[in-house]
Formats: sequence, structure tokens, C-alpha cells
Amino acid sequence: MENLDKVLRVEDLKLHFRTQRGPVQAVDGVSFELERGLATVVVGESGCGKSTLSRAILRLLPRNIHAYSGKVWLNGIDIMTLGDEQFRRKVRWVQMSLVPQAAMNSLNPVLKVGDQVAEPFLVHGKAANKKDAYDQAREVFRLVGVSTDFLERYPFELSGGMRQRAVLAMALAINPDIVFLDEPTSALDVLTQTNIMNVLKGIKRDLGVTFVLITHDIATSSELADRAAVMYAGQLVELSDAGHFFREPLHPYSQKLMASVPTLREDKELEFIPGQPPSLLDPPRTCRFAERCSLRFGKCDEEPPFKDVGGDRWVKCWLHV
Amino acid sequence: MVVKAVVLFITVVIGLYLVIMIANMGGHLDDVRRAEIRLGVATGVYMNPANQGLGSAALKQLTEALVVVQYRRYGLDRPFWIRSIDYLVTAITLDLGRAEYISSDSGSKEVRRILAERLPPTLILFGTASLVLFFGALAVALFLSRRYGSILDKTVIGLAPLSAAPGWFYGLFLILTFAAVLRVLPWGGMVKAPPPKDTLEYALSMIQHMILPVSAISISVFFASVYSWRTFFLIYSSEDYVELARAKGLSSRALQRRYILRPTLPTIITSFMLMMITTWMGQIILETVFNWPGLGRQYLTAVNLNDTPVIVGTLVIFAYLLAGTLFLLDFIYAIVDPRVRVAGGRR
Repeated sequence: MENLDKVLRVEDLKLHFRTQRGPVQAVDGVSFELERGLATVVVGESGCGKSTLSRAILRLLPRNIHAYSGKVWLNGIDIMTLGDEQFRRKVRWVQMSLVPQAAMNSLNPVLKVGDQVAEPFLVHGKAANKKDAYDQAREVFRLVGVSTDFLERYPFELSGGMRQRAVLAMALAINPDIVFLDEPTSALDVLTQTNIMNVLKGIKRDLGVTFVLITHDIATSSELADRAAVMYAGQLVELSDAGHFFREPLHPYSQKLMASVPTLREDKELEFIPGQPPSLLDPPRTCRFAERCSLRFGKCDEEPPFKDVGGDRWVKCWLHV
Repeated sequence: MVVKAVVLFITVVIGLYLVIMIANMGGHLDDVRRAEIRLGVATGVYMNPANQGLGSAALKQLTEALVVVQYRRYGLDRPFWIRSIDYLVTAITLDLGRAEYISSDSGSKEVRRILAERLPPTLILFGTASLVLFFGALAVALFLSRRYGSILDKTVIGLAPLSAAPGWFYGLFLILTFAAVLRVLPWGGMVKAPPPKDTLEYALSMIQHMILPVSAISISVFFASVYSWRTFFLIYSSEDYVELARAKGLSSRALQRRYILRPTLPTIITSFMLMMITTWMGQIILETVFNWPGLGRQYLTAVNLNDTPVIVGTLVIFAYLLAGTLFLLDFIYAIVDPRVRVAGGRR
């Protein structure tokens, strides 16, 4: 029997893409658990596979799949074994929803906002008719603090912040267990960002939704995070309780990453990490960070395990074995 | 919308004025007509036995007087630029005058009547071909965009260069194959002779006669449109909202219809609009090849007979049809794209 406090358990998830130059190991052997009601922030450089990880869990796959394997237990069921139609009916939006990057593009430009927000109720049989769906859509709009007048508008008539909140309302519509937020605030101004973060905090507190927040905006997301995960070159290198992580990251990469975050009114020399992440076409069999790591030693020529080091912390580094 | 209509109308007016200028050789034709009149009148006056006793000065005077009358009768006493405006006004108001040689099936010489008889067949053929093409190409393009890269997709895309040749070109091959060799479809015309009395039978015969011309137009336009529309679908299916809609758990049918077809439709309509213009142009030869009793064939006959009123009249109708098509499609465009609609109207 699965422990139901763990809403999601991912085991050795792999997603490799086929390209002309060979397979790209975008997500390679990722394992972790999510506790119900907690928010996890996933950070990492562009191209480290953090978005792809969410797509792999949500089964939003491109055409050029080379390998897609692993186990994903959602509420005690391995959803990787479900057929596409079952996955659509049982998992999509009902249990897991998505808020993509803040952009014009997450809403269909030719359909009214209301039609799009009300759609999940109709698709998943949570509303008897269109009017009922609209009534429920109105409620989620109030929840995220958007005027219900906007339901009758088209996406281009809304500002970026409004659109993003409409998408958030849509994601919360039929009360999913997990909401993946893929850089939900990255194209918005600071005030709107804060505003959305506050809305998210309120929702987490009131509804107990599990959030997975994928971002490279570490400063803003630290507000919401209960746990922090760091990805590097397609792998998870650290997963920690947020409080500990922000104070004292363990993995050398996490340390460098945190040192590169600017802080207000503190005279700190911002650091950067020399070199580049390894190509995911043919990543080294060593620790993937070894080449850029200042703490490298003999053992780093082998791939380290992702290990529980106690205190709700996992690290993939030989220094912590 | 009003602005669009005005712009289209101005385009039609300019186009027609150019046609009138060309058909009258920029006024040179007036000189020719004056010379013809003068010759005719002079011949008449000098050959008339009643004028035998008059002196040469009197004859000249009489000729001049009659020439002036004739000039006035044909309006040739006024400068060409005024007459060209007159021509323009009569053309635009469809006051097309009388044909010189051609007469309608009912025996009338009124250009308006002649063209009124020819218009419905053209509209039927063109309308059917457009509808078949639009929905056929749309369905196939959507289907292929889902099977991007498959053998079927590659085959259809490989056939796109067929659109390099116009419809009538394929018409010749189709007639050779299906009428001459296989003998399953008629060579041309609109209904069999004599025309059936029964309406249903008449319609069936017409459909039978339409298969080849519609196919000819389709072959020339279909593959190129499928090619470009499939590409539009591919581009639009990689939009973020399509992925989000998939994450929402929409069935693939609903996804196709609401999130791929609907947002792509405005772009497709624009492309269709441009395509229709070329098809209108090809109509003249196509109707001739298929002996279709429409405006296009009428135009060619009029050109061969130098029947200026019919030529100008046909071109007027063509200009109006073209502008009408564009206006209609623009209207549809506004319906399918709320961004255009709202910006132009609401609030």
C-alpha cells in the first residue's frame, strides 16, 4: 500500500529525445517524492530539464521521443501504465494541472476567456451544462481575485497579469491534487509577480493544493516554497526542506547557484559558475557537475547516487555520502 | 467594413477606367470613328442622285452639316475625357448598352440580358469548385498535419508542384481520359442535349457535366493549398495553448476543432482569398475548354468578334464579382477572428 501523504512518487523517470545528432537525455533517472499540500520549487539553469520533467510527468510529449520510462505513482496508482484515453479522463486536469509560462500564448486567442476556463468542468463532467460551468468558473475567478467580467472577454483584451491569473483560475478549476507552475511569473512586472505569489500562498493555505513551481527566479519563489529541488543536466542533484536549503545548500552546484542570486542592500560579490553544463547528447559517466566543480576529487569520476542525508534532505554528491 | 467596401469600390472604378481607356485606345478609337462617319456621310452625299445638281462648295457644306449632326448623334462632338467619364458611369451603374454582334439566347441585343444569361452558370461552377476545394483541402490538410512525416503526407506534399499549371491544362487531360477514352463523362457543356424537362434530372445532368471542370480546378489548386494549410496547422499546433488544452484533458477531436482549426482559420481564409483571385482569372479559358456557357467563354467570343460593349460589360461583371468575393471573405474573416471584430466594432 502506498503512503497517501505522498501525493506523487517518481522513480527513475527518463525522457530522451531523438535528434539528428543522437538522443538527448533531457530527463535522466529522476526520483523524488512530493508530500501533499507542500509547495516544491524546482530551480536550475535554462536547459537543465526542469520544464521537461514537468512535461514528462504530465505526459505532454513531443513527437521525437527516444525513450520514456520510469514509474510515476500518483495517489497510489502508477500512471505510466495507463493508456492515453484513461490518462486523459482520470489524470489530466482532474489530478494534475498546469500553469504555463506567463505569455500571450497560454490562452486560445479566438475563444472567450470564460469558454476556456469553463471547459474543464464540461470535459470532465463536473458541470451539467454550459451555464453551470460558467457559474463555477465565476467562483474560481473570485478565488484568484479576477473580476468575473473578464469571462466575457477575449484573451487579447486582458493584460498579461490578468491573463496569467485567468490561467491560474483555470488550473484550479476542478480542484486538482497537484498544480505544476512552469515559470508562472517570469514575463510579468514585479508588482504583478508579488500579487500572483500572494494569490498562490493564499490558495495553498486554504485549499491544500500541492504546487510544483518551476522557476529560475529563486528570490521570488522562496516566498512560497516548502521544499526546494535543484536540477542539473537532466538530473535532480538536491532536494531539501526549503528553510535549510536557502540557508545552507549542500550540493556544490546549489551553493554556486545560490551565490549568484542578488540580494537587496547587501554588499555581496555575485558569483557565476565557470564553464557550461555538459551536452545532454552524450553526458559524461562521471558526476555531471564534476567538470565545473571546484571541490572535485578522485571519486567524482563515478556517478554519485541520489542519497538521503537525513533531515529531509537528498543530495547527489560524493561529498555527502 | 465600410472603409473596406469603399476601398474595394474605388479599386473597381480605377480598374474599369483603365479598361475603358484601353478598349478605346486612349481616345484614338474616337478619331477612327470620326473618320468612318465622315467617309460614310461624304459617300452618301456625293452618291445621292438628288444632290446631282449642286456645286462642289454646296456639297462640301452639306457634308459638313451632316457630319456635325452625326457627331452629335454619337456624342463625338465632346472631348474624349468627358466621354470616358460617361462610359465609366454607365459601366458602373451596369447600364451596359447594346451589343454590336452578339445576341442573347432569347434574341436580345441588350448586353445586360446577354450577361444575365451567362452569369448563373459561371457562379454555379465557380461556387461549387470553391466549396469543394475549401472543405476538401481543409479536411485533408488537418488530417495530414496530424500525420506529419508519414508516407501519405510526403506523397501529397510531393504533388504540390501540380499547381504550377492552371486548371484548364488539366481539363484537357481529363477530357481526353474520361470523355474520349473511357467515355464515362461528357465532353463539355452544362446539360445534355436536349435539356431534361424534369428538375431533378436536370440537376443530375448538370452535376455530371460539372465533375470534370470542378476536378480540373481542384487539381490545379488543391495540392498547393493542402501544402500551405497543413503547414499553417503544424505551426499553430505548436502553440502553448494547444499543449495546455491537451493538459486540460480535451479529447483529440475537441482539441483539433477548438484549438487548432479555429485559431488557424483566419490565416487559411486569407490564403484562400488570394487563391480565389487566381482561379477567377483562369475561369475564361477553363469555360472555353469545357464549353461551359458562362461569362468566361462569352468574354472570349466577344474578344474574337470585337464586340466592345460585351467585352466591357463582361469585365465590369468580373470586376464586381472579384470585389464581391473579397468583400465576402473579409466579412467571414471578421466573424472567425474576434480580434478584428472587436477592434472594429464593440465598445
